[in-house]
Amino acid sequence: MTAETAGRLDSRSDGTRVPLLAIFAPTAALFVAFMGLPLLAMFWRAANNEQLADNITSDFVLDAMRLSAITSTIALLITLVFGTPLAYLLARGSFPGKIFVDLLVDLPIVLPPTVAGVALLVAFGRRGVLGPELDVIGVELAFTTTAVVLAQTFVSAPYYIRTVKAGFESVDVQYEGVAATLGASPLRIFWRIVLPLAWPSVFAGAILCWARALSELGATLIFAGNFQGRTQTMPLAILGVFDAGRTVDLAIALSVILVIAAAVLLLILRLFARSSNAGF
Amino acid sequence: MLSVDFEKRVGNFHLRPKFEADDEMVVLLGPSGSGKSLTLRAIAGLLTPDRGRIEVPDGVVFDASTRVNLPPQSRNVGYVVQNLALFPHLSVAANIGFALSRWPSAQRQQRIAELLDLLSLTGLESRLPNAISGGQQQRVALGRALAARPRVLLLDEPFTALDAPVRNALRREVARLRRQLGLLALFVTHDLQEAYALADRIAVYDQGEVLQFGSRQEVFGQPKNVRVAQLLDARNIFEGTVIAKTEAFTEVETPWFRARARAEGDLPPNSRAALTIRPEHVILLRPGRPHSELLDTVLDVELEEELATGNNHRLYLRVLRDGQPTDCVIEADLSAHPFQVMGVASEKRWQVALTLDQAVAIPVV
Repeated sequence: MTAETAGRLDSRSDGTRVPLLAIFAPTAALFVAFMGLPLLAMFWRAANNEQLADNITSDFVLDAMRLSAITSTIALLITLVFGTPLAYLLARGSFPGKIFVDLLVDLPIVLPPTVAGVALLVAFGRRGVLGPELDVIGVELAFTTTAVVLAQTFVSAPYYIRTVKAGFESVDVQYEGVAATLGASPLRIFWRIVLPLAWPSVFAGAILCWARALSELGATLIFAGNFQGRTQTMPLAILGVFDAGRTVDLAIALSVILVIAAAVLLLILRLFARSSNAGF
Repeated sequence: MLSVDFEKRVGNFHLRPKFEADDEMVVLLGPSGSGKSLTLRAIAGLLTPDRGRIEVPDGVVFDASTRVNLPPQSRNVGYVVQNLALFPHLSVAANIGFALSRWPSAQRQQRIAELLDLLSLTGLESRLPNAISGGQQQRVALGRALAARPRVLLLDEPFTALDAPVRNALRREVARLRRQLGLLALFVTHDLQEAYALADRIAVYDQGEVLQFGSRQEVFGQPKNVRVAQLLDARNIFEGTVIAKTEAFTEVETPWFRARARAEGDLPPNSRAALTIRPEHVILLRPGRPHSELLDTVLDVELEEELATGNNHRLYLRVLRDGQPTDCVIEADLSAHPFQVMGVASEKRWQVALTLDQAVAIPVV
């Protein structure tokens, strides 16, 4: 290593010398390789597979993609409609039992998704707590596409609610008071002031929520099962490949698509965070 | 008319302001945390009192006994908060027009143009608030509060973040606007100069209570008690005892001198009292020069220090008793011209006259 490159490595772009950078570089490089190699290997296998196009356009993969797109989008919409008011209440309100609601909302983030699946099944399954009532009105949830949406919503909504709650908290409450003295109704204050000012958080929360819904596996598997075209989203389809003894190339095709989708979402998030930081 | 008389407990703090005002500039003056801003919030409808009554020119907005409590939207009160809270994502024009959403578009545009003109903001209408100067932001906040033609304007320390020249210009502008629009304005500040410059009437706040409410001359000239005098940063407060009381004057004995004064409030003989006189009212005399007003108090003093402040000189004069210096210092303000003509700096021995007109005896509480 020449003195010149060494100098570049242990200094920041503003010229500040940071000697630790050079010391930590080797272990960091090793770890980046560990994270990157599996993904690279997968892409390499996919690129060298002549049947890649056929695999991607197979009914098995297309069904899973279509189902994933539809269910994750509906889960996101449900979260937007019901999660936004809840996030506002948690940010601004004070009501009895608030800490418990707060805890409840955060819980799915730390629970294994399979636990969420069991809980959903016990509540809404045919032999679940609400099973008989749902049966009377002719609703059967478990092992349907609706169950997929419910499982995804249950597991992914907390990411949205947490992010948006923090966003609402960062909006100075003075704005709302002043807007009220200017004659604005509470809903107009929300639409015209609070929501636009919390918009970066709403956007980030929605992306996180959508990405989490897209990758949801455990809760869906238990509550909705793994039926192609009905409950078999992309992560479940990957599992299905191995269960049914299909060619592993199908799993690779699905995985590559999911990696690209996730990377694009993360990139959008980063770019958006940068542009909204540069704003007001 | 505005009438405020309510109580509110927030934790240990007991807010209980009481005053009435007409179309004038009322300054709420007091240390921070004395309840001035909370009073404005209560008038605006953003804080609900525990009991009492608030009336603005448009009618009663809060009355605990009849359970009236209008929401902020219906009070027709313009409110400018301390950090302005301009909506950062809305243009200057959209901020100013925010209260006019239900007006027909043409009228709304006309009103916005009118306010831009009134506040010298024309040309900035499409800018965002963070792209204009601090003084301009203040004017946008004023315009936004005035847009729907409120009868009352509440201003919460609006100029604290600004440089002195901008602050002075804006003070004049607020005073002009208020007269021009015939508004009743409540102006919160802890800045004495600002209070003096702006106020028609002053409410002196301390620990949630209005200690004194009156015209600027009354409050500054005759602070009701020692606490008010302290809050008004009055110099020359000398505590002592009333030793005589006649029709014409009340005589107070302090540890350093005796002086005849006008009494403010009930001051029977032997009661504790403080003698106060504002530095600009202390008259400097050449020693031995006869002073014609016999009831005035004339004291021997020694010039100890002199501070030039712009066109003024503040003199620190040590009171002498039997020719000996005491631990009592009287402050006197003298403008530059007499300071030079009298040759104040070149002499040490002087006399001061505390005139009966200006020396005020106030109760010690």
